[in-house]
Amino acid sequence: MKMLILLIIALLGAPLFTVIGASALLGFSNGGIDLQVMAIEIYRLAETPVLIAIPLFTFAGYLLGESRAPHRLVSVSNALLNWLPGGLAIVALLSCALFTAFTGASGVTIVALGALLYPALKEAGYGDRFNLGLITSSGSLGLLFAPALPLILYGVVAQQLGLKQPVSIDDLFRAGILPGLLMLTLLALWSMWQKRIPLRPAVKTSWRETLQTLRESAWELPLPFVVLGGIYSGYFAVSEAAAITALYVLIVEVLIRREVPLANLARIIREAMVMVGGILIILALSLALTNYLVDTEVPTRLFAAISSHIDSKWTFLMALNVFLLLLGMMLDIFSALVIVVPIILPIAISYGINPVHLGIIFLANMQIGYFTPPVGMNLFIASYRFERPVMELYRATLPFFFILLAAVLIITYWPALSLVLLDKK
Amino acid sequence: MAASNSAGLTTRSLKLIHRLEDSLLVGLLLAMLFLAVAQILLRNLLDVGLVWADPLLRIMLLWLGLLGALAASRDNKHISIDILTRLLPARVRLLSHCFTALFTVCISGLIAYHSGRFVVAEFEAHATAVMGVPAWCFEIIIPLAFALIALRYLLHFGLHVSALRGKTAPP
Repeated sequence: MKMLILLIIALLGAPLFTVIGASALLGFSNGGIDLQVMAIEIYRLAETPVLIAIPLFTFAGYLLGESRAPHRLVSVSNALLNWLPGGLAIVALLSCALFTAFTGASGVTIVALGALLYPALKEAGYGDRFNLGLITSSGSLGLLFAPALPLILYGVVAQQLGLKQPVSIDDLFRAGILPGLLMLTLLALWSMWQKRIPLRPAVKTSWRETLQTLRESAWELPLPFVVLGGIYSGYFAVSEAAAITALYVLIVEVLIRREVPLANLARIIREAMVMVGGILIILALSLALTNYLVDTEVPTRLFAAISSHIDSKWTFLMALNVFLLLLGMMLDIFSALVIVVPIILPIAISYGINPVHLGIIFLANMQIGYFTPPVGMNLFIASYRFERPVMELYRATLPFFFILLAAVLIITYWPALSLVLLDKK
Repeated sequence: MAASNSAGLTTRSLKLIHRLEDSLLVGLLLAMLFLAVAQILLRNLLDVGLVWADPLLRIMLLWLGLLGALAASRDNKHISIDILTRLLPARVRLLSHCFTALFTVCISGLIAYHSGRFVVAEFEAHATAVMGVPAWCFEIIIPLAFALIALRYLLHFGLHVSALRGKTAPP
């Protein structure tokens, strides 16, 4: 009953942290625990070293979005790939994926890259509906690749649960590679299918031009290699990679290229930290709630209840997919992660699902949720950005939705795709 | 005359508070960035590390997160579910805003109060954190941030109520 009231309050648009905080307060006070414990739980933010990566990566992402780096990202990919059939569409997919991985999937991608890619695709002769669909659905592409924040956050939440099978963030980064590539490949094939007759680019890029484009991006080019190489080889911890990225981007965009005036820096930091604060306060209170839920064995009892109806792992996964798709439409990825993972992860483990695999399933579903009609967030961002009615975007994104849904199903029912790259210990 | 003067004073002091908050956010983030990089350089080049750097970085994260949340309350930018409210008629939406703002005041106030009691207890127990610094110095941000968030939402509540009574435009 109390939970029902809280759910209604959440649906009325109360800040989610208050709803979660209220549940935690209720839980602790029912259990006769002194509510001073809230301070101890919130203080746990200061006991999780990897969290430092969140403000640093977010800051770097906002800064990159304000500079002309997105423009250069598109021209470099274009110079390298425009010989392919469907080349420009593939350029769009790759740039969006890379940009999202570095900026943490907050709708920034559509705003920063959409404005560049949309007219370019149109000029190359792609249909309007295809372009809208491609850009809207690419806005969340790439969140399975390191160093995307959702992967890090999943690892943080899983580590708080004290599982027997530890979930390392490095493992999550490895596990995301093939499923992410699967999504990219399917979308690329669909794009090539759009342009079965490869239109030769009007002006063929010469070697000299390609070299020139590369030289223009010389400052940004090393970044993905250093960060991804450092993380995947295990040379950097995630928080170290975040610090290096943030400092590098700060120096390049503000001091060397001077594309972001120093005077704007305070505003950019504030905007980034508003987003970070919004995520961290929800995380802090969820940690309190999680502790209470685990202490009172809620997941165990839920598992008992569910397993009397669903006895096979595969049926459970099917139900999970439906549930996560619905969830992804309602909640943004960060709140969904911190609220729902603590409850479903123990249940999934009881069904014999690998916690790393579950993370990939979870994020892949959430990624589609971003543009699932009727309420996916990116649909509204794109509608606002390109000044089109939302109905038109529903139709435009539909083929992309089904393609990515197929990818999600493959990812869900083929665990090896996610797990094959993990270190076998 | 007096009313407009005091209104001007409120706006000015609000602006001052906002600027103070923004500078704290900027200062903390940049300090965190440089400290983290310094630590990496020291560790890799000289093979030494600052003992206090890692705990301090984590405490800075706590402060940054809560101050960021406080800044998010300024324009009511907290993460929330807005499917339903988008569909409501304007007046009902205003009413639901009043209610959720009041709810936020209560919950944030409760958290501020109880975590405040904890900090007082820590103060009296002379608990220490990093490098002998009293623990309450670091923990104080928890009750402080939640109390200020409660205050901000009280302000939002007032604005929404006055809009509901038709006195001002909806915020």
